[in-house]
Amino acid sequence: MRLTRFLLRRTAQGILVVWGVITLVFLLRFITPGSTIDFVAPLDASPELRQRLAEDLGLNKPIYVQYADYIVNLLQLDMGNSLLKGRPASDVIFARLPATLELAIAATIVAILFSIPLGVISATRRHQPVDYGATGFSLIGISTPNFWLGIMLILIVGVNLGWLPTSRRIIGFGPALELLVFEGRTIGIQVWFEHILLPSITLGTYFTALITRLTRNGMLEELGQSYVEVTRAKGLPETLVKYKHVLRNTMIPIITVLGLQMGTLIGGAVITESVFNWPGLGTLIIDAINSRDWPLIQGSLIVIGVGFVVINIVVDALYMYFNPQVTFE
Amino acid sequence: MNWQRVWRSLRAEFGRSPMAKLGVVLILAVFLMAIFAPFLATTNPKAQDLSRANEPPVGFTDTTEDTRLVDGERQTVTVTTRGTLEYPLGTNQLGQDMYSRLLYGARTSLLVGLLGTAIAALAGVSVGIVAGYYGGRVDDGLMRFADVMLAFPALVLAIALIGLLGPQPVDIPDPFVAAGLVSDMPETTVLPVTVTLVVALVNWVWFARVARGEALSVREKNYVKASRSLGASDWRLMLKHVLPNSLTPILVLATVQVAVIILLESALSFLGFSGTTLSWGFDISQGRDLLATSWWISTMPGLAIVVTVIGINLVGDWLRDALDPDIEGESGGGMG
Repeated sequence: MRLTRFLLRRTAQGILVVWGVITLVFLLRFITPGSTIDFVAPLDASPELRQRLAEDLGLNKPIYVQYADYIVNLLQLDMGNSLLKGRPASDVIFARLPATLELAIAATIVAILFSIPLGVISATRRHQPVDYGATGFSLIGISTPNFWLGIMLILIVGVNLGWLPTSRRIIGFGPALELLVFEGRTIGIQVWFEHILLPSITLGTYFTALITRLTRNGMLEELGQSYVEVTRAKGLPETLVKYKHVLRNTMIPIITVLGLQMGTLIGGAVITESVFNWPGLGTLIIDAINSRDWPLIQGSLIVIGVGFVVINIVVDALYMYFNPQVTFE
Repeated sequence: MNWQRVWRSLRAEFGRSPMAKLGVVLILAVFLMAIFAPFLATTNPKAQDLSRANEPPVGFTDTTEDTRLVDGERQTVTVTTRGTLEYPLGTNQLGQDMYSRLLYGARTSLLVGLLGTAIAALAGVSVGIVAGYYGGRVDDGLMRFADVMLAFPALVLAIALIGLLGPQPVDIPDPFVAAGLVSDMPETTVLPVTVTLVVALVNWVWFARVARGEALSVREKNYVKASRSLGASDWRLMLKHVLPNSLTPILVLATVQVAVIILLESALSFLGFSGTTLSWGFDISQGRDLLATSWWISTMPGLAIVVTVIGINLVGDWLRDALDPDIEGESGGGMG
């Protein structure tokens, strides 16, 4: 009940933010030097042809009419046609979206899988070698640019050891899963896994390091609180004290920071994709910017903005779950 | 704000923490490298010598196969190149000295990092203090705008803006070369203006949030209420009471932001958006296609970034441990 009301309010706020995003993205075209028509029209186009093209694309209407048209079309999920590919921008974008989502999710899984145990071990064995190792790793992890890490992984694992492929995606998770379920062949999943492993480590390392750090510091702070002594005095097993009570309270600041860092994850995905030639939204947006493909640029930015808003709502809901006192007033 | 107390706790923490000392040493080293690059460099970092291309760092050898005409016949010969002290970190595919490029790359990173942070802090703190101090509609409007800004991932927004606006590089004359103290070195250092402005634009929001939080709490303090009732103007109150109280958390945030912005700059240069070729990120991108043969071209500038950012992060930890501000987005805190 409380959660539903909160979600409704948060969604309303989210819609406002998305509207702001759409407006900014729309205005972006008007602060860019050079007219859009110059990028679309052939170099030797006659003034009449340019005029017709401008009319076709609706570029000669007043800005507020273009803005209203843009919003109305967006509401029907119409982002216009990609100037380069001649197909609806939304088709191009949604075809690329699964690759980026897979990468982001895989990276998050890598991060959570390694960081929380590492942080807990580090905090419970303070000033032991394992703690120094974990602290050192997290310091280096948050200080390493992920594109360079990706290149070093390509150099060591791909080029020198020749263990893993270093670029492209070959097969998506969906088709790979179909192959496994309907035909019983594991090759799809295997190829998928081989290709996503290095990119997800590249993207996930910063977060692994960050969450390790937060878990360690949070646990240390919580372990010093008086309620820990009380639960211990109650005779609860040490493992239960640490993992249930202390870790649960430690999760709250971790989730907050993760929510705030989601932008870093998406931005990191863009550059990771570019390092590994991963056919996702990131490589798409860079191509689109370089060729001034406005419908594609605007569409991808809006999809990213909406994704970001949605993730943040989910993070807030999680936050609420872990910390029932929060009211968000 | 009691500066003496701040200073004392900084010194005490510094004495306690070996990591803080390491951080200061690393940062000092990078600063000295950047400032005195013209004296420390052995070769002009832009000078090309194609006959010396792709040489390995000193102590390493590189073996490549080459097809040559020997006695009128094509033969495959194995060529072994040994790294020399002349190019201690090797050369890139244009035969440029990686060591000298590393020194000059530090200039670009620090210039953009410091200037970008300064602009972001100035803009963010002004907006944050005004929003927190006045509250109400001003606050609502400014903070909703901040939310929209936060909905764009910084790197994506930066790429979009720079890709569309162009890099707009500005040449800053090198004082040492201008004074005639060194010759054969680049006469100017390039400041990528769009990159600097854009990294500031995508990061000011963090400063605004911290400053706003401080302003909100200071506003309710009795001494502020008292001076207001004595007729102090809003401007005076903001400058004399709100601003000084926000300085500690802003200082800690600014330190971390320098690291964030240096990483962002290197990513933008890596993607080829920065407008200068003397940048660590740009050099990493240059070595990318040569990984199979010349690993050092991408490796060296990356190590430079890691060392610099580790230094800044260690100093950031030192400041935070010593001053203990509660910063949202760094150590957790309220959800605003």
